[in-house]
Amino acid sequence: MEARIEGVRFAYGDRPVLDVPELRIEAGRVTALLGPNGSGKSTLLRLLAGLERPRSGRVLVGGKPAPQARSSVAYAFQEAVFLSGSLRANLDLALRLRGLAADERRSRLAEAAGACGVAHLLDRPANRLSGGEAQRANLARALALRAPLTLLDEPLAGFDERGRGQMLEELPALLRRFAGTAVLVTHDRDEALRLAADLVLLREGCVRAAGPKREVFASPPDPDTAELLGYTILGTDAGLAGIAPGGLRPGPGDFTLTLQVEEVVDLVTAAEVIGSSGGRRIAVRCPPGEPLPAPGEQVSVSAPTEMVVSFTVPAPETVDRASRASVA
Amino acid sequence: MEAIWDGLVEAFRLIGSGDGDLFSIAGRTLLVSGSATALAMVVGVPLGYLLGRARFPARTLILAGVGTGMGMPPVVAGLIIWLLLVRSGPFGGFELIYTKQAMIIAQFLIATPLVIAFTAASIQSLPARLPDLLTVLGAGRLRTLWLLAKEARLGLLAAVMAGFGAVVSEVGASMAVGGNLAGDTRVLTTAIVTETSRADTERAIAYGLVLLAMAFAIVAVLTVVQQRSPR
Repeated sequence: MEARIEGVRFAYGDRPVLDVPELRIEAGRVTALLGPNGSGKSTLLRLLAGLERPRSGRVLVGGKPAPQARSSVAYAFQEAVFLSGSLRANLDLALRLRGLAADERRSRLAEAAGACGVAHLLDRPANRLSGGEAQRANLARALALRAPLTLLDEPLAGFDERGRGQMLEELPALLRRFAGTAVLVTHDRDEALRLAADLVLLREGCVRAAGPKREVFASPPDPDTAELLGYTILGTDAGLAGIAPGGLRPGPGDFTLTLQVEEVVDLVTAAEVIGSSGGRRIAVRCPPGEPLPAPGEQVSVSAPTEMVVSFTVPAPETVDRASRASVA
Repeated sequence: MEAIWDGLVEAFRLIGSGDGDLFSIAGRTLLVSGSATALAMVVGVPLGYLLGRARFPARTLILAGVGTGMGMPPVVAGLIIWLLLVRSGPFGGFELIYTKQAMIIAQFLIATPLVIAFTAASIQSLPARLPDLLTVLGAGRLRTLWLLAKEARLGLLAAVMAGFGAVVSEVGASMAVGGNLAGDTRVLTTAIVTETSRADTERAIAYGLVLLAMAFAIVAVLTVVQQRSPR
């Protein structure tokens, strides 16, 4: 189900939180809202769920204003919240509130709980589940609804490292199976790239870039957005340049820099050389077997041309233009 | 010591014999305090919900006012209602002074701050996202309120117990606005004061036992309901 945001401005009291002239969430795809804390990601998700009303503009879900389209939306909050009673009762209530018959509820509940790995927890009190269990149960509740639009706020928060890794592997298949269109909020670039087909980059309440992830990643519109995507930003004679994550290698090449080595970190399977170039701190991953420099040395590092993006236009203008172009 | 023992024996005899006065006063007590508590719940629960959930500039001030109201001496509540209902007062025309209705109003004034404060605290202790969750799941406004009330039932039942406990045991307000009229506005607490002043210890003890038994029975039922609830 498609969702559109048209001329939306939103503020908490006097504090502006979101200003989005236009944004389209494509039907049948997974979109990640990526941005630092306070960039307006969760507010955008709440607007899509009809939990907040914009000061101006429209939020349309499947062509209807968001508050009228709630029956088409499933929402998993970042913090897993349950009513008292068993997990089964909680999942069943969610399905009952959608007006589903008992047989349908039973089968959906079993299917979602099984797929999310919480079938063995169904008769446990929902409020006594551990952090990871509660997050899986939270996801199961949202997915059991099989809503045309599924909204997930930081779906991997609350997991330990192992659980997060597992869920990162399982989530794409779960979304394909249970969610028609999904929008997820994250501040983690890797998470967004792994889970989503489309990216919406937010900073200070504005959409800096939006579109298919390869396009957004290949041409960030400004240095701030590039930094959000993990680019290393450097000053050059022509202005600023961004080097894509993993683009820097030891030794000279297409785009060569001189690095003043400050520290060499042994990562067992590789080493990381950390230093500064043009006043910026840079880390370069060295493959095993590569001779390592000593702190205080000056070495050449480089990136292939296709991994380098130049920024010559002043940032604010670039942002405005890119935001409109990428969502139109 | 002997007087107390004799008093207890006589009290049980009065209770066992179904003494008319005793049971009519007990019934009146239940009616007045039960009505006042019920009214306090009707008004106090929604106000407590608002104070627990909503955020507005005067909220903290109102909560402080409610907290002060919780500690209001019953005799002061009685005095306020007496001043309002006495024949020369602003509502004297209603001729409510020295009636059961006046006692219910005074006890309502005592119970309401307790109900508001307990309700606000129990609503505030619920997860902040719970109303949003229920809204997104598709619960309408009334269903959401009902589900939240079920979640907050421990606190809401505590509110009933605190409200009823406060009004069934007060004497000052009932005396001031009810007048302790025999067969009309006399309740167990004012009857205990009367019988004590008449040195009828047996009757005073009997009334005291019935009052304690009544309060215990009601609170026990509420506690069973409260503690039976799954968490």
